[in-house]
Amino acid sequence: MCTSEKTLKTHLLGNLAGTVFLALFGAVYEMFSHGVYSYWMLYAFAIPLMLGVIPYTVLLIRRKFPQRAFLRLWSAAIAAFSVGCAFQGALEVYGTTNRLAIIYPIAGGLLLTAALASVLFNSRDEQTQKNTPCRDTVR
Amino acid sequence: MKGIRNCLWPLCFSLALIAFTVYISLDTFVISRSYDTDAVGMNTAMFDNLAAAENEKKAEGSAATAEARQEGVDPSVRTATPQPDEASSDSPERDVYSSRSVPERRSNHGFGPSGGRSARGNQAPSGSESDSASGADPSTAYTGDTAYQDGNVAITLTTYEQNNTKIYVADITVTSAQYLKTAFANNTYGKNVTATTSSIAQANNAILAVNGDYYGAREAGYVIRNGIVYRGTATGSDVLCVYADGTMKIVNDREFTADQLVEKGVWQAFSFGPALVEDGSVTVGVRTEVGRGMASNPRTAIGVVDANHYVFVVSDGRTDESEGLTLYELAQFMQGLGVQTAYNLDGGGSSTLYFNGRVVNNPTTTGRIQERSVSDIVYIGKDS
Repeated sequence: MCTSEKTLKTHLLGNLAGTVFLALFGAVYEMFSHGVYSYWMLYAFAIPLMLGVIPYTVLLIRRKFPQRAFLRLWSAAIAAFSVGCAFQGALEVYGTTNRLAIIYPIAGGLLLTAALASVLFNSRDEQTQKNTPCRDTVR
Repeated sequence: MKGIRNCLWPLCFSLALIAFTVYISLDTFVISRSYDTDAVGMNTAMFDNLAAAENEKKAEGSAATAEARQEGVDPSVRTATPQPDEASSDSPERDVYSSRSVPERRSNHGFGPSGGRSARGNQAPSGSESDSASGADPSTAYTGDTAYQDGNVAITLTTYEQNNTKIYVADITVTSAQYLKTAFANNTYGKNVTATTSSIAQANNAILAVNGDYYGAREAGYVIRNGIVYRGTATGSDVLCVYADGTMKIVNDREFTADQLVEKGVWQAFSFGPALVEDGSVTVGVRTEVGRGMASNPRTAIGVVDANHYVFVVSDGRTDESEGLTLYELAQFMQGLGVQTAYNLDGGGSSTLYFNGRVVNNPTTTGRIQERSVSDIVYIGKDS
C-alpha cells in the first residue's frame, strides 16, 4: 500500500527536526566538553539529513510515494543510526566505552536491509499482479 | 482504531530505542559491577626474583674474587667481573638500582625544568626550603608540608607556574619500586566503582597519591596492579610498565600478553596515555590530544628520571587562575624535569594530587573546585 503525500511529508518533517536537533545537541555538547570533541557527535546530524531529508525531498519532488512498510522501517533505521552515533560521541568525549553500543549499528543495518527487502518484495508482487490475467477475462 | 494501529509501530520502536538508550547510559555511567571485592593482594615474586638474581651475582663475584686470590692475581685488576653496584654490567640498571640503599633528598632547585622556561617557571613554593630534610636521619620519618622522608622513601613537593598554569611536581626517590603502589576505590576491582583520590589515599595510609588511569571507564586495556593481572584485554595502545627494578618502559599491548609482562617483572601497568617522553625525547606532537582537539586541561602524568627515582606531575586547569596544559606542553615540562620516560594518566576533573593528608592542587569537577571520584590511585605509602 503506497503512502500518501501527507505521510511522506510527515516523515520528511520528522527527519528535518531530527537533523536540527542533533546539530544543536552536538554543538551544545561540544561547548561543554573542554575542547575534547568527537566526530560521531559533531556529524550525527548528517544521518537524518543524508538518509531522510534529502531522499524524502527527492521522492516528494518526483511525486513517488513509497510503501508504508518501507517508510517505517527506513525511518526506524535512521533513528537507530542517529541515536547510536550521538551516544558513541558522548562515550568518546567522556573517554569511556560500552560494548553494547554496537547494538545501534546492527539494529540500524537490519532495519535498513528490511526496508530495502520490502521494496523488492513489493515490486515483485506488483509484477506478479500485472502478469496474472484476470479470471473473468480467461473465462 | 486505524489511527492507533498506524501509531503502534513508531510508538513501540521509539519506546524500545529510548529504553535501550537509558539502560546503556546507566550501564556506562551508573551501575557498578564488582569483579573482585578484595583486590588488595600483591604479587611480589618479581622482587624475589630480582633479589635472587642479585644474590647470584654477588655469589659469582665472590667466587671470582676467591678464585683470583687462589691464582695469586690481584682481584682489583679483574675489572670485567660484574659487581652488583656497578652500572656497567651486562644486565644493567635492574641490578644496579635494586640495591640502592637510602634515598638522597633532592633540593627543590635540583631538578627544575631547564631551557626556555619563564623565570616564574622555576619558582619553588614558599617554605619548601625550610621543609627540606637533607640532613635528616634517613631511618627516622620526617614529614613537612612539602617534604617527606623515611628510610626508604624521600618525597619533595614543588610548585611551578608555567603556561599560565599551576603545576605541582612530587619528586620521589625510593629504595625499591615496591614502594610505588596502586589501590582501587573501595579495594574493589570493578566497573563504576569509584571514590575520591584523597579517600582512597587515606584508606591506604598513603603519604603521596595521584589519580591513576581510571581503568573502570574502559572495558579493555591492561590492568596490572601490584603484580597482579586484573585485566588482560589488549587494545593496541601504549601501556606504561613499571618494572620491579624501578625502571619504566612504554610498550604496545599487542606485543606482550599481560601475563608475559608480569613474568618480565612488571609491577604496575597503566593504560591511558599517550606516552609523553621516551628515552628523554618528547613523543607527542603539538596537536596530540587524548580525545580529539587541542585543549588545555588539568593533567596528571608520571615519569621516571632514573631507576627508583620518579616524578608525579599534576597541573591545574579550567579555572581563571590556571588555564591548563596541552599534552605537548606537559611533555615539554616533563622533559625539562629530566625524565627519561613519562606517561599521561587520566586528567581533566580526575587530576588530583594528595600529599600528607590534604589535596594539594585544585581539582575541577563540573566547573567547581571539587574532587572527582576515580577508579584507582598511584601512591607512596606511609607504611613503606
